[in-house]
Amino acid sequence: MTSTFSRRRLLATGAAGLGAASLGLGPRRAQAQTAVALQLSWLHSVQFGGSYIAQDRGFWREAGLEVALLSGGPNAPVEPPVVSGTALIGISAADYTAAAVAQGAPFKILGVAMQKNPFVVASLPVNPVNTPADLVGKRIGMALANMPVLQALCTLNGVDVAAIEVIPTQYSAQPLLAGEVDCLLCWETDLPVAMAMQGVDSVTMLLADHGYALHSQTYIATDDSIANHRADLVALMAGEVRGWDAYRADTDAAADLTVRMFPDAGLDLPTQKLQATRQVPLMFSDLTDANGFGWWSDETVAANIETLALLGRPVTPDLWDRSILEEVHGA
Amino acid sequence: MTMAAVVAAPARGGFATALALIGFLALWETAARGLSGAYVLAAPSEVVVYIANNAGLLGRALAVTLGHAAVGFLLGNLAALGLAAVAVVWPRSQGVVTGLALLVFCLPLVATGPILRVFFGPGPWPQILLAALAVYYTTLIPLLVGLRAVPASWFDLVRSYGRGRWSALVHVRAVAALPYLFAGLQIAAPAAFLGAMVGEFTGAERGMGVLTIRAMRALDVPMTWALASVATAVAIAAYLALGWVARRVLRDDPPVILAAPPLAGARRPFAAVGDIAIVTGIALVLWWGALEWAGLSRFFAKRPADVFEALVLAPDAAATRATLFAALAETAVFLVPGYLAGLVAGAGLAILLVLVPGLAGLVMPLAIALRSVPIVTTAPLVVLLLGRGAVGTVVLVAVMVFFPTFVACLHGLGRAPGQVMDVMRSYAAGPVARLVRVGIPAMAPAFFAAARMNVPAAILAVTVVEWLATGKGIGSLMALSASLSDYNMLWSAVVIVSALSALGYGAVGLVEARVLRTYAPEQLA
Repeated sequence: MTSTFSRRRLLATGAAGLGAASLGLGPRRAQAQTAVALQLSWLHSVQFGGSYIAQDRGFWREAGLEVALLSGGPNAPVEPPVVSGTALIGISAADYTAAAVAQGAPFKILGVAMQKNPFVVASLPVNPVNTPADLVGKRIGMALANMPVLQALCTLNGVDVAAIEVIPTQYSAQPLLAGEVDCLLCWETDLPVAMAMQGVDSVTMLLADHGYALHSQTYIATDDSIANHRADLVALMAGEVRGWDAYRADTDAAADLTVRMFPDAGLDLPTQKLQATRQVPLMFSDLTDANGFGWWSDETVAANIETLALLGRPVTPDLWDRSILEEVHGA
Repeated sequence: MTMAAVVAAPARGGFATALALIGFLALWETAARGLSGAYVLAAPSEVVVYIANNAGLLGRALAVTLGHAAVGFLLGNLAALGLAAVAVVWPRSQGVVTGLALLVFCLPLVATGPILRVFFGPGPWPQILLAALAVYYTTLIPLLVGLRAVPASWFDLVRSYGRGRWSALVHVRAVAALPYLFAGLQIAAPAAFLGAMVGEFTGAERGMGVLTIRAMRALDVPMTWALASVATAVAIAAYLALGWVARRVLRDDPPVILAAPPLAGARRPFAAVGDIAIVTGIALVLWWGALEWAGLSRFFAKRPADVFEALVLAPDAAATRATLFAALAETAVFLVPGYLAGLVAGAGLAILLVLVPGLAGLVMPLAIALRSVPIVTTAPLVVLLLGRGAVGTVVLVAVMVFFPTFVACLHGLGRAPGQVMDVMRSYAAGPVARLVRVGIPAMAPAFFAAARMNVPAAILAVTVVEWLATGKGIGSLMALSASLSDYNMLWSAVVIVSALSALGYGAVGLVEARVLRTYAPEQLA
């Protein structure tokens, strides 16, 4: 494992060096750029706008880091590239990380981009779901894989999960609009945005507002990296923090940059702008205002551990390691 | 019009084709308008507008995906040629070669995609290799059939010139195999494109697959159907281009195979059992060796021992097995009827076209289009029309199975020996008599080859549909296991699915051997 790690690292560094040379960046090499990769959890979109700003404005390059942003996708789990060393940091979520750790992966959570979990129950105004109690007797469209999420929400709010009719659907707003279901379990930042862009108003009930405390878009790295590549981790996270602060200051500029950086991704600027504003309340809170982007407290971790227990994923506070973030924020 | 002509000139009925196309577009436009509130189907007019407004974006995505599909198509078919050559020059190896090829083909995309991505890192290789994996087997099997579709007298001729096996391969077998090779290539063309698109799901930055995901999530129905239309048009174009090449190359009528060539070394008893043991052994060593060589972490790259542990020794092994078999049972309910329906529909339509050749211009483009529309796009529409019950999934599996069977059977019917047909005609035998006495027996080897290679294809289809649309069965279990890092479950599922595919393949082979003993003994050499 260790030997592969260094072999891959060597290859990656070599490739980046070649790339830099061919781009005529020769003199910059005096600064000895280290090539690392950040594995994203989904296709390129403004969901990762802060990272694009860090890349575009050279926040990482100044710190001697050449960061490759690796696209995710529907069949691209984040954990294997991080374990194998292809990516230094991956973007995961507390429940996925807990599951991976239970299977023996040596991960720690280094930072939390989404303080509030983005899961919502989305419905139409004529037949709205405003509280968990409204779910009783409704048909909810979701992936069966998310059954534990619904169960946890029901347990937290004293709702009988058997009184909800679960209809397995593909991840799309289409079944809701076609009247096949009364509501959907989805993210605040994707399907409701898609409906809004089609001129359809929707009602969203954020699970995080009803006791479902679960860190999302978390930064994960291996114990090995934390021990042996600390400086790179600090530099990468420092760039992320600066990038996301800039993102918050001007979400439209982040959306513009995203569309410009990925002209082949089929992104639509108005959609990206709306998505960019919708994820701000999930990412920034009083806690991050006081301590900086990505932060967590013992209380939020305790609440996460409770939710994870309901999801059948018992963990200890050791899953979170704030030392990198403390170095970044100079705490 | 002879049978061969039907096969070789699918679109010659120009008027009928034009009429079919107009009728099809009118039907499509009407259906889309009727369903306008449902966000599932865009009208052709909307599709045209979208393509016109986004030609640059679509063109770049198409160039990327088509490039990967083409390289994968080339690599996959070269691999098939190489494997077929080994199997023919060294007949003893055939059981092992086809067995290993089958096992690799049975590996589910849902599981191989992410592993290829970790193996190769960012870049085009997972897309290219998934395209290659999607095609090599559907070429290999018809090719092996073709390499044996040779009259014994031709070998006698080679021997009388004092030449050996190599000359026989180059001058006799290769020529006899060409029509079968083209059948395989025509089936492979849409499969390569689909493979490259699904490969993009593993973390590609651009391409048709990436745009398809984006369009579906964004409820952008015109964009979704514009992508599907472009993919379909490309697949049809590739099919027709290969057909055109085939027509240029294949000028002679098929030969009469009246007497089987001598059996090259009668098969020892229990040879099949031995082959299975060898294949299993080689597969286990390759599996273990490749992962060790690459130094992949046991966290996600499970070795044979890990899977044995998870399925047999671990304290929760019984629970793992129960989950796995419950999912398999759910899948079987869709898989078996879909597979059989696809076979019957494919063979039936091929026979119908021979009896009523005028239909070819009408049916062929529709059949190709049906198979070429990416399953990723059609799944929600079929589910909407047929409900989320079993029917939708069964139909999707049948569609995937139908097309390779149809093409193989058409080519098989085209293999009816010309002289025998002349004899039948001179006795004023009608088209039905010619079909029953010559056509269908000539079709049998191709039909069974299709039935065999469709076992894994059907499993591929059902797992993709379960993964992307219905969220049930083994396909969904594999996707879920990957996202929850339950790699013991994922690898166990891969092993069981591959083993069951191989068993299904073997079962079809037994039926085939009984039938071919009567109709095409040269295939049993």
